[in-house]
Amino acid sequence: MSSVNVRVAAVERVTPLVKHFTLVREDGSRLPPFSGGSHVVVSMDAGGKVYRNAYSLMGSPADTNAYHISVRRQERSRGGSLFMHDKVVEGSVLQITLPTNLFAISRMGRKHILIAGGIGITPFMSQLHDIERNGFDYELHYAFRSPEHGAFADQLKARCGERAHYYIDSEEQKLDIRAVLSRQPLGTHVYVCGPGPMVTAVLETAHDLGWPQRHIHSEQFGAPPGGEPFNVTLAKSGLVVEVAGDTSMLQALEQAGAEIDSLCRGGACGRCMVEVLETDGELLHHDDYLSEAEKASGKKMMPCVSRARCTHLLVNL
Amino acid sequence: MERGYKIRSKPDYQSLTWREHALAHVVVAKGKGGMAVLQLFQQMYPRQPVKVLYIRDKDESVDYATTLTKLIGEGLQCFDSEQEGLYAFFRMLSDCHMGTQFYMSGTESFIWSAVKLAKLHGVQEDDVMKQMMASLSRPVYCVHCKGMTTDITTNIATCRKCGRKLFVRDHFSRLLGAYMGLQVDAEDPGEVPEIEEIYP
Repeated sequence: MSSVNVRVAAVERVTPLVKHFTLVREDGSRLPPFSGGSHVVVSMDAGGKVYRNAYSLMGSPADTNAYHISVRRQERSRGGSLFMHDKVVEGSVLQITLPTNLFAISRMGRKHILIAGGIGITPFMSQLHDIERNGFDYELHYAFRSPEHGAFADQLKARCGERAHYYIDSEEQKLDIRAVLSRQPLGTHVYVCGPGPMVTAVLETAHDLGWPQRHIHSEQFGAPPGGEPFNVTLAKSGLVVEVAGDTSMLQALEQAGAEIDSLCRGGACGRCMVEVLETDGELLHHDDYLSEAEKASGKKMMPCVSRARCTHLLVNL
Repeated sequence: MERGYKIRSKPDYQSLTWREHALAHVVVAKGKGGMAVLQLFQQMYPRQPVKVLYIRDKDESVDYATTLTKLIGEGLQCFDSEQEGLYAFFRMLSDCHMGTQFYMSGTESFIWSAVKLAKLHGVQEDDVMKQMMASLSRPVYCVHCKGMTTDITTNIATCRKCGRKLFVRDHFSRLLGAYMGLQVDAEDPGEVPEIEEIYP
Protein backbone atom coordinates (compact mmCIF):
# COMPACT_ATOMS: atom_id res chain seq x y z
CA MET A 1 0.00 0.00 0.00
CA SER A 2 1.27 3.45 -0.88
CA SER A 3 2.57 5.48 1.99
CA VAL A 4 3.88 8.97 2.59
CA ASN A 5 6.70 10.25 4.76
CA VAL A 6 5.56 12.95 7.13
CA ARG A 7 7.35 15.24 9.55
CA VAL A 8 5.89 16.14 12.92
CA ALA A 9 5.38 19.90 12.75
CA ALA A 10 3.95 20.32 16.24
CA VAL A 11 3.14 18.31 19.35
CA GLU A 12 0.62 19.61 21.83
CA ARG A 13 -0.50 18.07 25.10
CA VAL A 14 -4.30 18.17 25.13
CA THR A 15 -5.07 16.28 28.34
CA PRO A 16 -2.85 14.41 30.82
CA LEU A 17 -3.10 11.35 28.54
CA VAL A 18 -3.67 12.75 25.06
CA LYS A 19 -1.24 14.39 22.68
CA HIS A 20 -2.14 16.11 19.43
CA PHE A 21 0.35 15.73 16.53
CA THR A 22 0.41 17.93 13.45
CA LEU A 23 1.88 16.10 10.46
CA VAL A 24 3.16 17.71 7.26
CA ARG A 25 4.62 16.07 4.21
CA GLU A 26 8.37 15.65 4.50
CA ASP A 27 8.95 17.07 1.01
CA GLY A 28 6.77 20.09 1.79
CA SER A 29 4.07 19.31 -0.79
CA ARG A 30 0.38 18.99 -0.02
CA LEU A 31 -1.24 15.88 1.41
CA PRO A 32 -4.13 14.14 -0.37
CA PRO A 33 -7.64 15.36 0.47
CA PHE A 34 -9.82 13.10 2.59
CA SER A 35 -13.38 12.81 3.89
CA GLY A 36 -14.54 13.22 7.49
CA GLY A 37 -14.10 10.08 9.59
CA SER A 38 -10.99 8.89 7.69
CA HIS A 39 -7.99 7.37 9.38
CA VAL A 40 -4.36 6.73 8.52
CA VAL A 41 -2.08 3.98 9.74
CA VAL A 42 1.10 5.40 11.26
CA SER A 43 4.23 3.25 11.08
CA MET A 44 6.76 3.82 13.84
CA ASP A 45 10.20 2.32 13.57
CA ALA A 46 11.25 1.58 17.13
CA GLY A 47 14.72 0.25 16.46
CA GLY A 48 13.80 -2.90 14.56
CA LYS A 49 10.31 -3.37 15.88
CA VAL A 50 7.73 -1.63 13.71
CA TYR A 51 4.51 -0.48 15.30
CA ARG A 52 1.53 0.27 13.08
CA ASN A 53 -1.42 2.03 14.64
CA ALA A 54 -4.52 3.50 13.04
CA TYR A 55 -5.44 7.06 14.03
CA SER A 56 -8.39 9.16 12.91
CA LEU A 57 -7.74 12.41 11.08
CA MET A 58 -9.15 15.28 13.10
CA GLY A 59 -8.58 18.32 10.94
CA SER A 60 -10.69 19.89 8.27
CA PRO A 61 -10.84 17.80 5.08
CA ALA A 62 -10.37 21.10 3.24
CA ASP A 63 -6.94 21.60 4.79
CA THR A 64 -4.38 19.54 2.91
CA ASN A 65 -1.35 21.37 4.32
CA ALA A 66 -1.35 19.20 7.42
CA TYR A 67 -3.02 16.19 8.98
CA HIS A 68 -3.95 16.17 12.65
CA ILE A 69 -4.07 13.09 14.84
CA SER A 70 -4.45 12.62 18.56
CA VAL A 71 -2.96 9.76 20.50
CA ARG A 72 -4.06 8.54 23.90
CA ARG A 73 -1.36 7.02 26.02
CA GLN A 74 -2.23 3.34 26.58
CA GLU A 75 -0.02 1.94 29.32
CA ARG A 76 -1.01 -1.67 28.72
CA SER A 77 -0.67 -2.00 24.99
CA ARG A 78 1.82 -3.22 22.42
CA GLY A 79 3.78 0.00 22.69
CA GLY A 80 2.74 2.13 19.71
CA SER A 81 1.04 4.83 21.74
CA LEU A 82 3.91 4.91 24.25
CA PHE A 83 6.34 5.37 21.38
CA MET A 84 4.24 8.25 20.03
CA HIS A 85 4.15 9.86 23.48
CA ASP A 86 7.72 9.30 24.61
CA LYS A 87 9.81 9.23 21.44
CA VAL A 88 8.04 11.32 18.82
CA VAL A 89 8.86 15.01 19.01
CA GLU A 90 8.69 18.02 16.75
CA GLY A 91 10.80 17.21 13.70
CA SER A 92 10.44 13.40 13.96
CA VAL A 93 9.75 11.61 10.70
CA LEU A 94 7.00 8.99 10.46
CA GLN A 95 5.43 7.03 7.68
CA ILE A 96 1.67 7.06 7.15
CA THR A 97 -0.64 5.29 4.73
CA LEU A 98 -3.02 7.32 2.57
CA PRO A 99 -6.33 8.05 4.33
CA THR A 100 -9.03 5.39 4.29
CA ASN A 101 -12.59 5.97 5.40
CA LEU A 102 -14.63 3.24 7.08
CA PHE A 103 -16.62 5.73 9.14
CA ALA A 104 -18.05 8.30 6.74
CA ILE A 105 -21.21 10.33 7.28
CA SER A 106 -24.11 8.80 5.35
CA ARG A 107 -25.39 11.28 2.81
CA MET A 108 -28.79 9.62 2.95
CA GLY A 109 -29.13 10.74 6.54
CA ARG A 110 -31.38 13.61 7.57
CA LYS A 111 -29.93 13.86 11.07
CA HIS A 112 -26.77 12.48 12.62
CA ILE A 113 -26.17 11.41 16.22
CA LEU A 114 -22.49 11.27 17.12
CA ILE A 115 -21.64 9.34 20.28
CA ALA A 116 -18.06 9.49 21.54
CA GLY A 117 -16.33 7.97 24.54
CA GLY A 118 -12.93 9.40 25.52
CA ILE A 119 -10.42 9.45 22.69
CA GLY A 120 -13.24 8.18 20.43
CA ILE A 121 -13.97 11.86 19.86
CA THR A 122 -11.26 12.14 17.18
CA PRO A 123 -13.11 10.86 14.04
CA PHE A 124 -16.00 13.19 14.86
CA MET A 125 -13.68 16.19 14.76
CA SER A 126 -13.33 15.74 10.98
CA GLN A 127 -16.85 14.33 10.44
CA LEU A 128 -18.23 17.55 11.93
CA HIS A 129 -16.65 19.48 9.06
CA ASP A 130 -18.60 17.37 6.56
CA ILE A 131 -21.79 17.71 8.60
CA GLU A 132 -21.43 21.49 8.87
CA ARG A 133 -20.61 21.88 5.19
CA ASN A 134 -23.73 19.93 4.22
CA GLY A 135 -25.87 21.79 6.74
CA PHE A 136 -27.04 18.52 8.34
CA ASP A 137 -28.83 18.44 11.66
CA TYR A 138 -26.84 16.65 14.37
CA GLU A 139 -26.25 16.01 18.07
CA LEU A 140 -22.91 15.28 19.69
CA HIS A 141 -22.87 13.13 22.83
CA TYR A 142 -19.44 12.99 24.42
CA ALA A 143 -18.64 10.97 27.54
CA PHE A 144 -15.31 11.25 29.37
CA ARG A 145 -13.75 10.34 32.72
CA SER A 146 -13.28 13.68 34.40
CA PRO A 147 -13.13 17.36 33.38
CA GLU A 148 -9.39 17.32 32.66
CA HIS A 149 -9.80 14.29 30.37
CA GLY A 150 -12.32 15.88 28.04
CA ALA A 151 -10.06 16.32 25.04
CA PHE A 152 -11.17 19.24 22.84
CA ALA A 153 -14.31 19.65 24.95
CA ASP A 154 -14.07 23.46 25.13
CA GLN A 155 -13.30 23.80 21.46
CA LEU A 156 -16.25 21.57 20.56
CA LYS A 157 -18.60 23.42 22.87
CA ALA A 158 -17.73 26.66 21.10
CA ARG A 159 -18.24 24.97 17.74
CA CYS A 160 -21.39 22.96 18.39
CA GLY A 161 -23.12 25.02 21.09
CA GLU A 162 -26.31 23.38 22.31
CA ARG A 163 -25.85 20.43 20.02
CA ALA A 164 -22.97 19.23 22.23
CA HIS A 165 -23.90 17.18 25.30
CA TYR A 166 -21.20 16.12 27.75
CA TYR A 167 -21.28 13.30 30.30
CA ILE A 168 -18.53 13.46 32.88
CA ASP A 169 -18.02 10.21 34.73
CA SER A 170 -16.39 11.76 37.82
CA GLU A 171 -19.42 14.01 38.23
CA GLU A 172 -21.73 11.03 37.93
CA GLN A 173 -23.27 12.24 34.72
CA LYS A 174 -24.38 9.32 32.65
CA LEU A 175 -25.32 9.07 28.99
CA ASP A 176 -28.74 7.45 28.64
CA ILE A 177 -28.31 5.79 25.25
CA ARG A 178 -31.86 4.46 25.13
CA ALA A 179 -33.35 7.89 25.82
CA VAL A 180 -31.23 9.54 23.12
CA LEU A 181 -32.03 6.88 20.52
CA SER A 182 -35.76 6.80 21.35
CA ARG A 183 -36.45 10.42 20.43
CA GLN A 184 -34.87 10.72 16.98
CA PRO A 185 -36.81 11.58 13.84
CA LEU A 186 -37.00 9.20 10.87
CA GLY A 187 -33.93 9.23 8.67
CA THR A 188 -31.48 9.65 11.58
CA HIS A 189 -28.12 7.85 11.56
CA VAL A 190 -26.09 7.06 14.67
CA TYR A 191 -22.30 6.89 14.84
CA VAL A 192 -20.37 5.61 17.82
CA CYS A 193 -16.66 5.56 18.55
CA GLY A 194 -15.25 4.75 21.96
CA PRO A 195 -14.42 1.91 24.31
CA GLY A 196 -15.76 -1.56 23.47
CA PRO A 197 -18.55 -1.72 26.05
CA MET A 198 -19.89 1.67 24.94
CA VAL A 199 -19.87 0.69 21.28
CA THR A 200 -21.61 -2.59 22.11
CA ALA A 201 -24.23 -0.82 24.22
CA VAL A 202 -25.07 1.63 21.42
CA LEU A 203 -25.24 -1.12 18.77
CA GLU A 204 -27.43 -3.32 20.94
CA THR A 205 -29.77 -0.52 22.01
CA ALA A 206 -30.24 0.75 18.44
CA HIS A 207 -30.94 -2.78 17.24
CA ASP A 208 -33.36 -3.40 20.08
CA LEU A 209 -35.28 -0.20 19.31
CA GLY A 210 -35.67 -1.32 15.70
CA TRP A 211 -33.12 0.95 14.01
CA PRO A 212 -32.27 -0.48 10.59
CA GLN A 213 -28.72 -1.82 10.38
CA ARG A 214 -27.62 0.64 7.73
CA HIS A 215 -28.46 3.58 10.01
CA ILE A 216 -25.96 2.36 12.62
CA HIS A 217 -22.23 3.07 12.25
CA SER A 218 -19.37 2.27 14.59
CA GLU A 219 -15.63 2.44 14.77
CA GLN A 220 -13.29 1.03 17.33
CA PHE A 221 -9.54 1.14 17.28
CA GLY A 222 -8.83 -0.82 20.37
CA ALA A 223 -5.44 -2.39 20.68
CA PRO A 224 -5.73 -5.99 19.53
CA PRO A 225 -6.13 -8.22 22.53
CA GLY A 226 -3.04 -10.10 23.59
CA GLY A 227 -3.09 -13.70 24.69
CA GLU A 228 -1.07 -16.88 24.71
CA PRO A 229 1.77 -17.13 22.21
CA PHE A 230 1.23 -19.49 19.25
CA ASN A 231 2.88 -20.48 15.99
CA VAL A 232 1.58 -20.00 12.46
CA THR A 233 2.84 -22.05 9.53
CA LEU A 234 2.68 -20.43 6.10
CA ALA A 235 1.62 -23.01 3.52
CA LYS A 236 3.38 -21.43 0.52
CA SER A 237 6.83 -20.97 2.05
CA GLY A 238 6.70 -23.47 4.87
CA LEU A 239 7.87 -20.67 7.18
CA VAL A 240 6.88 -20.93 10.84
CA VAL A 241 6.10 -17.57 12.47
CA GLU A 242 5.98 -17.15 16.20
CA VAL A 243 3.25 -14.84 17.50
CA ALA A 244 4.23 -13.52 20.93
CA GLY A 245 1.60 -12.89 23.59
CA ASP A 246 1.83 -9.10 23.22
CA THR A 247 2.02 -9.01 19.41
CA SER A 248 -0.83 -9.32 16.94
CA MET A 249 -0.70 -12.11 14.38
CA LEU A 250 -0.69 -9.49 11.61
CA GLN A 251 2.29 -7.73 13.13
CA ALA A 252 4.16 -11.02 13.49
CA LEU A 253 3.43 -11.97 9.88
CA GLU A 254 4.64 -8.57 8.67
CA GLN A 255 7.83 -8.83 10.68
CA ALA A 256 8.46 -12.26 9.21
CA GLY A 257 8.16 -10.73 5.74
CA ALA A 258 4.91 -12.45 4.76
CA GLU A 259 3.00 -10.84 1.89
CA ILE A 260 -0.10 -9.57 3.62
CA ASP A 261 -2.26 -6.56 2.90
CA SER A 262 -4.04 -4.60 5.61
CA LEU A 263 -6.12 -1.50 6.01
CA CYS A 264 -7.90 -0.73 9.27
CA ARG A 265 -5.95 -3.05 11.58
CA GLY A 266 -8.98 -3.15 13.83
CA GLY A 267 -11.07 -6.06 12.57
CA ALA A 268 -13.46 -3.87 10.61
CA CYS A 269 -12.49 -3.79 6.96
CA GLY A 270 -11.70 -7.41 6.08
CA ARG A 271 -8.60 -6.60 4.01
CA CYS A 272 -6.11 -8.75 5.94
CA MET A 273 -8.31 -11.86 5.97
CA VAL A 274 -6.36 -15.12 5.85
CA GLU A 275 -7.60 -18.54 4.92
CA VAL A 276 -7.07 -21.14 7.61
CA LEU A 277 -6.16 -24.53 6.13
CA GLU A 278 -5.60 -26.57 9.27
CA THR A 279 -5.56 -26.16 13.00
CA ASP A 280 -5.61 -28.51 15.95
CA GLY A 281 -7.02 -25.91 18.31
CA GLU A 282 -9.41 -23.03 18.53
CA LEU A 283 -9.54 -19.72 16.65
CA LEU A 284 -10.20 -16.74 18.90
CA HIS A 285 -12.09 -14.30 16.68
CA HIS A 286 -12.17 -10.66 17.82
CA ASP A 287 -13.21 -8.94 14.58
CA ASP A 288 -16.49 -7.33 13.50
CA TYR A 289 -16.08 -8.35 9.87
CA LEU A 290 -16.78 -12.08 9.65
CA SER A 291 -20.31 -13.32 10.17
CA GLU A 292 -21.03 -15.68 13.04
CA ALA A 293 -21.32 -18.51 10.53
CA GLU A 294 -17.94 -17.70 8.99
CA LYS A 295 -16.34 -17.55 12.43
CA ALA A 296 -17.85 -20.89 13.35
CA SER A 297 -16.63 -22.48 10.10
CA GLY A 298 -13.03 -21.88 11.23
CA LYS A 299 -11.90 -21.33 7.64
CA LYS A 300 -11.10 -17.62 7.79
CA MET A 301 -9.61 -15.23 10.30
CA MET A 302 -8.58 -11.61 10.70
CA PRO A 303 -4.97 -11.64 11.92
CA CYS A 304 -5.10 -7.93 12.89
CA VAL A 305 -7.16 -8.69 16.00
CA SER A 306 -7.78 -12.44 16.15
CA ARG A 307 -5.56 -15.11 17.63
CA ALA A 308 -5.49 -18.87 18.07
CA ARG A 309 -5.08 -21.28 20.93
CA CYS A 310 -3.39 -24.26 19.35
CA THR A 311 -0.13 -26.05 18.69
CA HIS A 312 -0.60 -26.06 14.91
CA LEU A 313 -2.10 -23.43 12.59
CA LEU A 314 -1.59 -23.64 8.82
CA VAL A 315 -2.65 -20.63 6.76
CA ASN A 316 -2.78 -20.13 3.00
CA LEU A 317 -0.03 -17.51 2.73
CA MET B 1 -41.25 -15.30 -20.57
CA GLU B 2 -37.87 -16.97 -20.93
CA ARG B 3 -37.49 -19.78 -18.41
CA GLY B 4 -34.92 -19.32 -15.67
CA TYR B 5 -34.62 -15.59 -16.39
CA LYS B 6 -35.11 -13.35 -13.39
CA ILE B 7 -35.60 -9.62 -13.63
CA ARG B 8 -33.42 -8.24 -10.91
CA SER B 9 -35.05 -4.84 -10.75
CA LYS B 10 -38.45 -6.32 -9.91
CA PRO B 11 -39.10 -5.97 -6.17
CA ASP B 12 -39.67 -9.04 -4.04
CA TYR B 13 -42.74 -8.83 -1.86
CA GLN B 14 -43.27 -10.65 1.40
CA SER B 15 -46.08 -11.69 3.69
CA LEU B 16 -46.36 -9.07 6.40
CA THR B 17 -45.00 -10.20 9.75
CA TRP B 18 -44.39 -8.02 12.79
CA ARG B 19 -40.79 -7.03 13.30
CA GLU B 20 -39.72 -8.10 16.75
CA HIS B 21 -37.50 -5.09 17.47
CA ALA B 22 -39.50 -1.90 17.18
CA LEU B 23 -40.28 1.37 18.88
CA ALA B 24 -43.69 1.53 17.16
CA HIS B 25 -45.48 0.11 14.12
CA VAL B 26 -47.27 1.88 11.26
CA VAL B 27 -49.39 -0.14 8.82
CA VAL B 28 -50.78 1.36 5.61
CA ALA B 29 -53.18 -0.63 3.44
CA LYS B 30 -55.73 -0.16 0.73
CA GLY B 31 -58.67 -2.27 -0.44
CA LYS B 32 -57.86 -5.97 -0.45
CA GLY B 33 -54.59 -5.10 1.28
CA GLY B 34 -56.78 -5.05 4.40
CA MET B 35 -56.58 -8.86 4.42
CA ALA B 36 -52.82 -8.68 4.96
CA VAL B 37 -53.51 -6.41 7.95
CA LEU B 38 -56.03 -8.86 9.37
CA GLN B 39 -53.43 -11.61 8.97
CA LEU B 40 -50.90 -9.45 10.84
CA PHE B 41 -53.27 -9.14 13.78
CA GLN B 42 -53.89 -12.88 13.67
CA GLN B 43 -50.19 -13.23 14.53
CA MET B 44 -50.50 -10.95 17.55
CA TYR B 45 -51.31 -7.47 18.77
CA PRO B 46 -47.84 -6.02 19.41
CA ARG B 47 -46.84 -4.54 22.72
CA GLN B 48 -45.53 -1.36 21.07
CA PRO B 49 -47.85 1.42 19.85
CA VAL B 50 -49.52 0.54 16.53
CA LYS B 51 -51.18 2.83 13.99
CA VAL B 52 -53.12 1.47 11.05
CA LEU B 53 -54.29 3.58 8.12
CA TYR B 54 -56.82 1.81 5.94
CA ILE B 55 -58.15 3.14 2.67
CA ARG B 56 -61.39 1.70 1.33
CA ASP B 57 -61.34 0.93 -2.36
CA LYS B 58 -64.64 1.97 -3.92
CA ASP B 59 -63.92 -0.11 -7.05
CA GLU B 60 -63.77 -3.29 -5.04
CA SER B 61 -66.53 -5.17 -3.35
CA VAL B 62 -64.51 -5.89 -0.22
CA ASP B 63 -64.30 -3.50 2.67
CA TYR B 64 -62.35 -4.67 5.69
CA ALA B 65 -62.98 -1.47 7.67
CA THR B 66 -65.62 -3.00 9.94
CA THR B 67 -63.57 -6.06 10.81
CA LEU B 68 -60.44 -3.96 11.29
CA THR B 69 -62.30 -1.57 13.64
CA LYS B 70 -63.39 -4.46 15.84
CA LEU B 71 -59.90 -5.88 15.93
CA ILE B 72 -57.72 -2.80 16.27
CA GLY B 73 -59.84 -0.18 17.96
CA GLU B 74 -58.45 3.30 18.42
CA GLY B 75 -55.19 2.72 16.53
CA LEU B 76 -57.13 2.56 13.27
CA GLN B 77 -57.97 5.40 10.91
CA CYS B 78 -60.12 4.74 7.82
CA PHE B 79 -60.26 6.82 4.65
CA ASP B 80 -62.48 6.89 1.58
CA SER B 81 -59.86 8.15 -0.85
CA GLU B 82 -56.24 7.27 -1.50
CA GLN B 83 -55.28 10.94 -1.56
CA GLU B 84 -56.77 11.54 1.89
CA GLY B 85 -55.18 8.43 3.34
CA LEU B 86 -51.73 9.10 1.92
CA TYR B 87 -51.88 12.71 3.06
CA ALA B 88 -52.65 11.56 6.61
CA PHE B 89 -49.74 9.09 6.38
CA PHE B 90 -47.36 11.78 5.15
CA ARG B 91 -48.33 14.09 8.01
CA MET B 92 -47.89 11.28 10.51
CA LEU B 93 -44.31 10.64 9.33
CA SER B 94 -42.96 13.83 10.88
CA ASP B 95 -44.07 12.61 14.33
CA CYS B 96 -42.61 9.12 13.91
CA HIS B 97 -39.32 8.27 15.57
CA MET B 98 -36.42 6.08 14.49
CA GLY B 99 -37.28 2.49 15.27
CA THR B 100 -40.81 2.79 13.84
CA GLN B 101 -41.45 -0.16 11.55
CA PHE B 102 -43.49 0.30 8.37
CA TYR B 103 -45.79 -2.24 6.72
CA MET B 104 -47.64 -1.64 3.45
CA SER B 105 -50.17 -3.66 1.54
CA GLY B 106 -52.33 -3.18 -1.52
CA THR B 107 -51.67 -2.96 -5.24
CA GLU B 108 -48.12 -2.32 -6.39
CA SER B 109 -49.15 1.22 -7.39
CA PHE B 110 -50.47 1.96 -3.93
CA ILE B 111 -47.50 0.42 -2.11
CA TRP B 112 -45.01 2.54 -4.04
CA SER B 113 -47.01 5.74 -3.65
CA ALA B 114 -46.73 5.21 0.10
CA VAL B 115 -43.07 4.11 -0.05
CA LYS B 116 -42.14 7.28 -1.91
CA LEU B 117 -43.69 9.42 0.84
CA ALA B 118 -41.75 7.50 3.50
CA LYS B 119 -38.54 7.97 1.51
CA LEU B 120 -39.02 11.74 1.70
CA HIS B 121 -38.60 11.32 5.46
CA GLY B 122 -35.39 9.32 5.13
CA VAL B 123 -36.96 5.85 5.44
CA GLN B 124 -35.16 3.51 3.08
CA GLU B 125 -37.31 1.44 0.77
CA ASP B 126 -35.64 -1.85 1.78
CA ASP B 127 -36.63 -1.30 5.39
CA VAL B 128 -40.34 -1.15 4.57
CA MET B 129 -42.18 -4.47 4.64
CA LYS B 130 -44.44 -4.78 1.61
CA GLN B 131 -47.10 -7.28 0.63
CA MET B 132 -48.72 -7.12 -2.79
CA MET B 133 -52.44 -7.90 -2.65
CA ALA B 134 -55.48 -7.72 -4.85
CA SER B 135 -53.91 -7.64 -8.31
CA LEU B 136 -50.73 -7.79 -10.37
CA SER B 137 -51.54 -4.33 -11.78
CA ARG B 138 -48.54 -2.09 -12.25
CA PRO B 139 -47.61 1.54 -11.80
CA VAL B 140 -46.17 2.76 -15.12
CA TYR B 141 -43.80 5.66 -15.67
CA CYS B 142 -43.83 7.29 -19.09
CA VAL B 143 -40.19 7.74 -20.07
CA HIS B 144 -41.24 10.41 -22.61
CA CYS B 145 -43.34 12.83 -20.54
CA LYS B 146 -42.45 11.56 -17.02
CA GLY B 147 -46.13 11.04 -16.25
CA MET B 148 -47.26 8.30 -13.87
CA THR B 149 -50.17 6.01 -14.67
CA THR B 150 -51.29 3.62 -11.94
CA ASP B 151 -52.95 0.20 -11.73
CA ILE B 152 -52.25 -0.96 -15.30
CA THR B 153 -53.45 -4.50 -16.01
CA THR B 154 -52.53 -4.67 -19.71
CA ASN B 155 -49.35 -5.18 -21.74
CA ILE B 156 -49.83 -1.72 -23.27
CA ALA B 157 -50.91 1.30 -21.26
CA THR B 158 -52.23 4.70 -22.28
CA CYS B 159 -50.20 7.40 -20.53
CA ARG B 160 -52.54 9.41 -18.37
CA LYS B 161 -50.54 12.56 -19.01
CA CYS B 162 -49.50 12.56 -22.70
CA GLY B 163 -51.78 9.89 -24.14
CA ARG B 164 -48.96 7.88 -25.76
CA LYS B 165 -49.42 4.13 -26.02
CA LEU B 166 -46.75 2.68 -23.74
CA PHE B 167 -45.26 -0.79 -23.76
CA VAL B 168 -45.09 -1.82 -20.09
CA ARG B 169 -41.62 -3.17 -19.46
CA ASP B 170 -40.49 -5.45 -16.62
CA HIS B 171 -37.78 -2.94 -15.71
CA PHE B 172 -38.75 -1.47 -12.36
CA SER B 173 -37.27 1.70 -10.88
CA ARG B 174 -37.14 1.86 -7.12
CA LEU B 175 -36.44 5.57 -7.29
CA LEU B 176 -39.60 6.27 -9.29
CA GLY B 177 -41.56 3.35 -7.80
CA ALA B 178 -42.81 2.24 -11.22
CA TYR B 179 -42.22 0.11 -14.30
CA MET B 180 -40.82 1.85 -17.35
CA GLY B 181 -43.27 2.55 -20.16
CA LEU B 182 -41.96 3.18 -23.69
CA GLN B 183 -43.94 4.38 -26.67
CA VAL B 184 -44.93 1.20 -28.49
CA ASP B 185 -45.58 2.78 -31.89
CA ALA B 186 -42.59 5.12 -32.02
CA GLU B 187 -41.26 3.55 -35.25
CA ASP B 188 -44.61 3.12 -37.00
CA PRO B 189 -47.09 5.64 -35.58
CA GLY B 190 -50.52 4.13 -35.14
CA GLU B 191 -49.27 0.52 -35.35
CA VAL B 192 -50.29 -0.60 -31.87
CA PRO B 193 -50.15 -4.34 -31.16
CA GLU B 194 -53.14 -6.06 -29.64
CA ILE B 195 -53.82 -4.90 -26.10
CA GLU B 196 -54.26 -7.80 -23.70
CA GLU B 197 -54.81 -8.08 -19.98
CA ILE B 198 -51.69 -9.76 -18.61
CA TYR B 199 -51.53 -8.30 -15.07
CA PRO B 200 -55.01 -9.20 -13.79
